[in-house]
Amino acid sequence: MVLDNLGEKLRETLKKVAGSVFVDESLVNELVKDIQRALISGDVNVSLVLELTKKIKERALNEEAPTGLSKKEHLVNIVYEELVSFLGEEKNEIKIESKKPFKIMLVGLFGSGKTTTIGKIANYYTKRGLKVAGVGLDVHRPAAPEQLKQALEAINVPVYIDKEEKNALKIYEKYDKEFKKYDVLLIDTAGRDALSDELIKEIKVLNSKIKPDGRLLVLSADIGQAAQKQAEVFNENCDVTGVVVSKLDGTAKGGGALSACKVAKAPIVFVGLGEKVEDLETFNPTGFVSRLLGMGDIEALLEKAKEAITEDDAKDMEKKFLKGEFNLIDLYDQMESMNKMGSFSKLLEMVPGMGQLKLPKDALNVQEDKLKRWKYILNSCSRSELENPENIDTSRAERIAKGSGTSTGDVKELIKQYKQSKKMIKMMGSGDPSKLMKKFKGGMPGLK
Amino acid sequence: MFGFLKDKIKDAVKKFSKKTEEEGKDLVKEETEEVLEEPVKEEIKEEVKEIKEVKKIKKEVTEEVKKEDVKEEIEEKEEPKKGILSKLKEKITTRKLNDQEFEDFFSDLELILMENNVALEVIDKIKESLKMDLVNVPLKRNEIEKIIDDSLKETVDEILSFDNIDLVKKIKEKDEKPYVIVFFGVNGSGKTTTIAKIANKLKENGLKCVLVAADTWRKAAIEQLEEHGKKLDLKVIKQKYGSDPAAVAFDGVEYGKAHKLDVVLIDTAGRQHSNLNLMSEMEKIIRVAKPNFKIFIGESTTGNDVVEQCRNFNDVVGINGVILTKTDVDEKGGAILSVSFVTGKPIVYLGSGQEYNNLENFNKSQIIKNLGL
Ligand SMILES: Nc1nc2c(ncn2[C@@H]2O[C@H](COP(=O)(O)OP(=O)(O)OP(=O)(O)O)[C@@H](O)[C@H]2O)c(=O)[nH]1
Ligand SMILES: Nc1nc2c(ncn2[C@@H]2O[C@H](COP(=O)(O)OP(=O)(O)OP(=O)(O)O)[C@@H](O)[C@H]2O)c(=O)[nH]1
Ligand SMILES: [Mg+2]
Ligand SMILES: [Mg+2]
Repeated sequence: MVLDNLGEKLRETLKKVAGSVFVDESLVNELVKDIQRALISGDVNVSLVLELTKKIKERALNEEAPTGLSKKEHLVNIVYEELVSFLGEEKNEIKIESKKPFKIMLVGLFGSGKTTTIGKIANYYTKRGLKVAGVGLDVHRPAAPEQLKQALEAINVPVYIDKEEKNALKIYEKYDKEFKKYDVLLIDTAGRDALSDELIKEIKVLNSKIKPDGRLLVLSADIGQAAQKQAEVFNENCDVTGVVVSKLDGTAKGGGALSACKVAKAPIVFVGLGEKVEDLETFNPTGFVSRLLGMGDIEALLEKAKEAITEDDAKDMEKKFLKGEFNLIDLYDQMESMNKMGSFSKLLEMVPGMGQLKLPKDALNVQEDKLKRWKYILNSCSRSELENPENIDTSRAERIAKGSGTSTGDVKELIKQYKQSKKMIKMMGSGDPSKLMKKFKGGMPGLK
Repeated sequence: MFGFLKDKIKDAVKKFSKKTEEEGKDLVKEETEEVLEEPVKEEIKEEVKEIKEVKKIKKEVTEEVKKEDVKEEIEEKEEPKKGILSKLKEKITTRKLNDQEFEDFFSDLELILMENNVALEVIDKIKESLKMDLVNVPLKRNEIEKIIDDSLKETVDEILSFDNIDLVKKIKEKDEKPYVIVFFGVNGSGKTTTIAKIANKLKENGLKCVLVAADTWRKAAIEQLEEHGKKLDLKVIKQKYGSDPAAVAFDGVEYGKAHKLDVVLIDTAGRQHSNLNLMSEMEKIIRVAKPNFKIFIGESTTGNDVVEQCRNFNDVVGINGVILTKTDVDEKGGAILSVSFVTGKPIVYLGSGQEYNNLENFNKSQIIKNLGL
């Protein structure tokens, strides 16, 4: 596949950088060109890419390497820093304020995944103990209210629709008083082209009358260069506060979403990884960069340069490990960061060497299923259970299994895995925390 | 469609042609001297008259070089004389591009194509073709722009080198009834909506159809198709959610046969081409429904992934034709080139809105014209 080759080429160039005696301009140029191609083939906006690579080039040619870093390490570091800051440095989650209701409106192009995402977000917050409801304001698409109804009823979330009313605002006003009962209200709107005056007028009215607290732009991972303009106009008209990238379970890289983040100055808050309600995750920039660039070992390659910066963070984790404070939340984070990059088979492609390995397809699906089930389980655990997995007894395990649609066997297997991991970590004692983490990852089933 | 692209390509080609021709002028000066100095000496004895003539020309030429239209002047002078003069003319008026010059030129064009959503793989193909036409071949200086235009046109023409297809005619020509069409593609690309549009068109053409709800998975997928059925006054064949889509498709075909309908339109669930289970489900639907025509529904707004999408669907189930939807959203037409390049299959229609009549015939020559080629 061409795209894989791009990642491959970039990896080669980075390796070349890592192995070079000194960094000269032609090496920087080559690197920059490879980054450009990889990003553009991932549908990042062309002018954004040029801006980014210009910055990388300027820094690479002008900045002195800080003491302790060689010039080439510094170059790799610059690439990494610029790429990550391009995406927003850290995980960003929607902060649900304690007003009633906290209103989140989803907007976006036709068929981008708004209605489906509402089901997923409803599930996400319900699992976290919030009272959630949905309201359907798509008065254009045939059977849109019915779709929202079926999506929310499946997870026992109340839904407010009116199949006859053709004025979206009137539907909202009709139920306005009811909404006060809920912590979170999710508002489904019709798909629209930001460049269509008529449809934009509608969303403007909804936005100004309803005054949603969160306004999420849902973008399909495969959208091309149209993303920029669309995001711009959506943002102009309803001040986007977060971006959701849907359909990241396919092969698309989601580069279009970056444009949206840039123009709206808003973070990616969720990614969609499938059609089921559980297929929603919070966003991890590093994993996204790796995927976008089509390479798995970016972190390994960048490790040394990064170590200098993240030493402090690592120390925290190390302490945690040493004190045996490692709990299911940490396990969950590990799985999250592994899974961020997409489906498990995708992930495997990114593990150096694995891309070339032709694993039997069935084996992959099994692992993927298992990993998914585990995630559902973790999603169904209460906070205290996550923190103290030892307390999960059979009756709790049964409850968790029910809540996550898995079996108690699955839950027990996960607990067993957790205990093993914990033991392993203790046994390894002190040492390089980043290596520790790696070994831990290596200890996960399927990654062996 | 292709509105931006048209102007931008024109600009880039113009800019480059002009630059090349201007750079050429310096060369012209050098070459004139070089060409004229030596051979003239050698021929002194033989044709004194001609030397005078040549010297005169040389003087004129070097003067003219500073002005705008070097070439025309030369051409005039060239008429009566042959020999060294034609050689001279060739040197002055032709120009060879080396790799580097081509790369510089193409990087401009590449950006324009990228900005217009043409997939990288397709751009590489265009580059290759252009390079063959432009690098290390003598190019007439005044024709560089035209040569680039022609080469681009030829490449695009080649990418779009499928026969325009008239689906209605195709259906009418077929004796055996019903004509079965299956629609597939990734999630949310516009399958269900497009089926309704096509059903509407077929009805207008006096063809009898049935809609088949073989998406038994997505929420309200069946109700969505049913609403269209109601509006269009068409029967919808369905089963319960979760039932085997191939079985529904089979029911649909049987119904079409039993009622001597002209067309059976089968809607399927959106699926990611990377999902093996769902792709083999698609295979099964095709196996059971035995369609006469398989249509891939893609979005014109899709970026580079459209290449992967249609390549995979084509590999697994085979594509007979393509419809790109949502062309009203974005006038960059890159996906058209990408999809045609990968599948080589005809683009049957373009979807241009949510209304039933927002279904356009695909017109290749119009597209090429819109590109300004
Ligand atoms: N594979 C995959 N499919 C998704 C994802 N999110 C949504 N979908 C699918 O995408 C299609 C469109 O989703 P919808 O939720 O109907 O999109 P929408 O934005 O509400 O569409 P409109 O209301 O018509 O604008 C459906 O087939 C969904 O199942 C995802 O993360 N992965
Ligand atoms: N503007 C515009 N919207 C379109 C076009 N074609 C489809 N849509 C819209 O895109 C959205 C998704 O269309 P669907 O027909 O439901 O797509 P689908 O491929 O059947 O979706 P799934 O079955 O969920 O995979 C709807 O809101 C349609 O109205 C088009 O050509 N232009
Ligand atoms: Mg919707
Ligand atoms: Mg559909």
